[in-house]
Amino acid sequence: MLKKTLAFALGLGLMSGAAYAQSAWTGGDDLPTNPLACDGTPAAVASKPYDGGSPTNAPDRKGKPLNVVDVPKLIGIGYFNATSKGIADAAAELGNVTAKTDGPTQANIDQQISFIDNYITSGVDGILFAANDPVAIAPVLKKALAAGINVVGYDANSQPDARQWFVNQAEFNGIAKAMIDSLAKESGEDASFAIVTSTFTTPNQARWIAEMGAYAAKCHPNLKWLETVEAQEDNVLSFNQATTLINKYGDELKGILGMTSVATPASAEAVTQAGKCGSIAVVGLATPNAMKPYVEKDCVKSVVLWNPVDLGYAAMYVLRAVADGTLEPGATSVKAGKLGELQVINGSEILLGAPFVFTKENIGNFDF
Amino acid sequence: MSAAAAPVPARSSALRRLVSGYGQELIILAAIVALMIVVGLYNPRFMSQSNLTSIFAGNAYIAVAAIGMSMVIISGNIDVAVGSLIGVLAVLSGTLAVGGYPIWVAWAAPVVVGILVNAGVGALVAYARIPSIVVTLGMLSILKGGLISVTAGAWITGLPEGYAIAQARLFGVPAPVWFMVVLTIAAAWWMRNSGFGRTIYAIGGNPEAARASGIRIERSIVAVFAIHGFFVGIAAVLFATQLQVIQSTVPPNLELTVITASVVGGVSILGGTGTVIGSTLAAILFAAIGSSLIFLNVSAYWLRAVQGLLILATVLADMARRHRIR
Repeated sequence: MLKKTLAFALGLGLMSGAAYAQSAWTGGDDLPTNPLACDGTPAAVASKPYDGGSPTNAPDRKGKPLNVVDVPKLIGIGYFNATSKGIADAAAELGNVTAKTDGPTQANIDQQISFIDNYITSGVDGILFAANDPVAIAPVLKKALAAGINVVGYDANSQPDARQWFVNQAEFNGIAKAMIDSLAKESGEDASFAIVTSTFTTPNQARWIAEMGAYAAKCHPNLKWLETVEAQEDNVLSFNQATTLINKYGDELKGILGMTSVATPASAEAVTQAGKCGSIAVVGLATPNAMKPYVEKDCVKSVVLWNPVDLGYAAMYVLRAVADGTLEPGATSVKAGKLGELQVINGSEILLGAPFVFTKENIGNFDF
Repeated sequence: MSAAAAPVPARSSALRRLVSGYGQELIILAAIVALMIVVGLYNPRFMSQSNLTSIFAGNAYIAVAAIGMSMVIISGNIDVAVGSLIGVLAVLSGTLAVGGYPIWVAWAAPVVVGILVNAGVGALVAYARIPSIVVTLGMLSILKGGLISVTAGAWITGLPEGYAIAQARLFGVPAPVWFMVVLTIAAAWWMRNSGFGRTIYAIGGNPEAARASGIRIERSIVAVFAIHGFFVGIAAVLFATQLQVIQSTVPPNLELTVITASVVGGVSILGGTGTVIGSTLAAILFAAIGSSLIFLNVSAYWLRAVQGLLILATVLADMARRHRIR
């Protein structure tokens, strides 16, 4: 009975294996893709009317000193220390802004709401936030708008009408381009590679994979995708899956793309333990701290993410521009200091720009 | 039982005893060999040394945890918190290692704490008479929630040199494989030949008879859980030292994999029968299936389905066997 069951299961497996082999880039979704231009020209923006909110009877703040509070999801972790540093840098550069960061020590939406509420009462000119929950945070942000306070989000959005602008750290097609470009650069234009993702149904990962497929077909047509394996958000499983890929393809495998901050370091570890550093490139989404050991040992050359210091910096500049009235509904771009001209997308969002690629030269400057 | 049933040639009876005594183990072993041959023919790299190493070494911690789990299930209990406990003990070990404690402390602490925690669980089961599934379900939530609150999800990195015992090799064989093999053989021998080993079978097979024959059931249950904690502690160290980082979340579905290994390995979910050799073989079988799915280009989701099918098939076969005996 057991043998029959096993034979049946294996048979089923073989059949579905054949079915999978025919589909393109398993793990992507079926939504339409929008690959960027190969040379990095910004995508044409589909015009969408402004859908953010506006403060009620905001005083004329043009050129006047601003008192700004930044309330991230939580404080005391490397990532938001970095955004906070960006905000402080921008405030110092602008000269007419006092900015401080304050918030809960745990990513707790109730505590975040009471922090914002207290700052509304104490009277500030502007609020920057990264929402713990897009819906739950909306009422208190609307209260801030109603009190005439300028409200700008970054990192994690709220409902659009509860804030004025949101600084979006990365779009799917931007991440996809950075991943595929890095892979092609490191392992060659005709390299064979595999993907380690969380699960085929995780929305963000599925979107990235679909966009990567579209971008590779357009700009690096000779790259050969071998397969996508699932590893959930499990460190050891990710390692085992990546190791099995290395065992399966041998020298044919030239690259592994890690789609989660768990899969990427585990894939790097698998390549390290297999002694394949240098012959298999690992490119992936991950936080710098988890990747430092591999980047410093030259086993990993590119870690794709965004720069949280730039994210905070951009958010501060956007808030200044909103308060000055230089960024108004309908604008197509905004100046953000050293980052230059940032593009307006999706009605009321500002795109930070191309993703940031952490390398051996810069990864030591980040701690998150 | 009667003398009339005896006229069978001696050699065939030895074989028959082996088959009837270790039937499930032999089936699993045959399944492993068959799977390796089939997938090895499909893609010879499956049988390469590096892949066999990752099948055995990468999953040895599951087999080690399944040894303790088998004892618990044979005693008529269950532990659904095993995955959470491994996660917590792994983080404990890593925290001590990073905190500058001697490495042997970081290795020993999970074993000691594992024994203590599970002795507590056993005491609740034995003396408070709460069913083990309820106690361990509660434990699962406590450990899972506690781990997330304490660590806030931060990973443990920067582990000291020499800590990664799971990456060590002895005579070219990875340390986790040694742990798996030695502990399985030792536990199997002990279960078969020691008085306490037979006590475990007795309290799971027929608690009333065991009590009547003078076994102190409560103490024995506490002891079984404590021994299980010992194996969980070792599994946690192997789990923690496999990579350069320790994830501070509970590994998903690990308890299910461990329990499935025990049950498919021939440990009756109703208690009283089974061996730890079977659970170790079953853990290897799952590892081999998991690896072969990638070699055959099959989604990893099938592993869950296959595990589910195997568990159903084994439990049905077990019930049918019991029915036939009656």
